[in-house]
Amino acid sequence: MHFNSKDIDLYASQKDYVDTAVVPLIELDLTVSGMKASAGASEYLQSLTVILEKQFKGRILLLPPISYVRAADRTELGEQLKKELSETGFKHIFYLTTDPKWRSVEELDNVLWLPAIPTGDMDQSFKKSVMEDQLRQVLPLFTKEWTHHS
Amino acid sequence: MSNNRVSRRQFLGYTLTGVGGFMAAGMLMPMVRFAVDPILQQHDAGDYVLTDQAAADITEEPVRVDFTFEQVDAWYTSEVTNSAWVYKEGDKLIALSPVCKHLGCTVNWGGDPEQPTQFFCPCHAGRYEKNGQNIPGTPPLGPLDEYDVQEQDGFVAIGQVKPNTLV
Repeated sequence: MHFNSKDIDLYASQKDYVDTAVVPLIELDLTVSGMKASAGASEYLQSLTVILEKQFKGRILLLPPISYVRAADRTELGEQLKKELSETGFKHIFYLTTDPKWRSVEELDNVLWLPAIPTGDMDQSFKKSVMEDQLRQVLPLFTKEWTHHS
Repeated sequence: MSNNRVSRRQFLGYTLTGVGGFMAAGMLMPMVRFAVDPILQQHDAGDYVLTDQAAADITEEPVRVDFTFEQVDAWYTSEVTNSAWVYKEGDKLIALSPVCKHLGCTVNWGGDPEQPTQFFCPCHAGRYEKNGQNIPGTPPLGPLDEYDVQEQDGFVAIGQVKPNTLV
């Protein structure tokens, strides 16, 4: 489900079934040299989370991407996110990111780090097949988590 | 020479009426054409989206067929790709919607290794028969929706979604 008022109404009535939150974490790099890569990574991560949502619409709530600047303290941000999400009813929380700095942050469990693929210059059908390949890498991680803790 | 001579006044009158008539027609014709245009539009094939799946390759085993169309959401136009599970029942093409009737996840054919001849929803383990009939005891409350489907020039074309007619 997306984070919009229509889906949230449905979420509120089906809380038992929607037990997983997906939080995309996106680093903003606004320097002249880093902007394009940062935009590409953001585009990639958002496409991926959208097709992930489409696959698992009835069980995950896709939150809007959390964007932060390069200098942001990942540890602190992680603690704040964890605290906010711990007050919800979600049993499983996944963080998806292309930012390698999250790999060393211990606060968050289930951080899925994916290398960004620059999909911006690909044509539609090739981009689609690349994204589906990526999705196939991620899906088992979700189903595994669900079968282990249910 | 004939007797009814055309006077200068008559000649000018005829000429002006003729030229004016042409100009008026030139302006009115496109307007009339625009006005009746919606009636003349063809709708036969427009509602079907042609896919790149050859109809001859479809067997009794459902395969996923993707199709893309433009969707306008307020001021934002986007290309949306949807898919359908298409198989043959005898010679008849059947296309089922992959959207689970429980909470809208995407179902897969044979997604559960223990039930290779059923559709499986990975979210809450909902299951459906091949014709879309939901299996009692699993979360879904109704059968999978069906698409209008036809063969166009040897390829599968997918139309509007409708409630399941097979169950």
